[in-house]
Amino acid sequence: MEQAELEQLHPASYAWSLSCCRRDRDEAEEVLQDVYVKILEGKARFDGRSSLKTWLFAVIRRTAAARARRRMVRDLLLAKWARQEVEVAPVEYSESAEILLSALKKLARRQREVLELVFYHDMTIEDAALALNVSLGTARVHYARGKKQLLAQLNGKL
Amino acid sequence: MNDDQLRDAFAELRRADAARVPAYVAPALSRRVGRLRVGSTLAFAALLLIVLAVVMIPRRPPQPSISAWRAPTDFLLQTPGRELLNSVPDLKGTRQ
Repeated sequence: MEQAELEQLHPASYAWSLSCCRRDRDEAEEVLQDVYVKILEGKARFDGRSSLKTWLFAVIRRTAAARARRRMVRDLLLAKWARQEVEVAPVEYSESAEILLSALKKLARRQREVLELVFYHDMTIEDAALALNVSLGTARVHYARGKKQLLAQLNGKL
Repeated sequence: MNDDQLRDAFAELRRADAARVPAYVAPALSRRVGRLRVGSTLAFAALLLIVLAVVMIPRRPPQPSISAWRAPTDFLLQTPGRELLNSVPDLKGTRQ
């Protein structure tokens, strides 16, 4: 995989990384850097079983999850006084975007991920299933339940 | 609300995010080198601490064998005039 391909997919990758990192922009950038290094060093190889974007999204998701696990262990090990709380300036969105983000936060993680992959990234449910490493049936269930809940929450607000 | 409206809402969010995407930065492979350097520095520091600890810890002197050991208060047994008690007095000269 060439750098040019990574660069081309960078905006979409960043958006997905943002989603995997609970919209923490610094963490999303760190995750992306880790993913790019992993790919360029050959530790993650594209095997052609899905589209490049789907595979890249799966790598981003795994890397973000691994970093989150490491951070959780570190936070458990470090005493509270030793933690460095970094204030992150909140990003301002339009009112409708804020309402959508707020409604998405209330969904189960898998449901939110499937919906974001389908509606935000214009992926099919099949590709979303591959990116999330779940079966197609599971992805369909998450999609249907998630969409139902999201629509119910957004009804009348947007 | 229907699917199209939901798609529109996501499209608006996507546009807002797109305006804030950081520029693509060629992955710094030196990050790995940096991590390796940090790791090797920590390992070297740990090794140095172990060597210093081994050198600095005072070692106990070798213990004397029990047959060679002398009590430190042995000198108290060396009383004045003790040599008189270790020999028999010669009384031959005093008989005549």
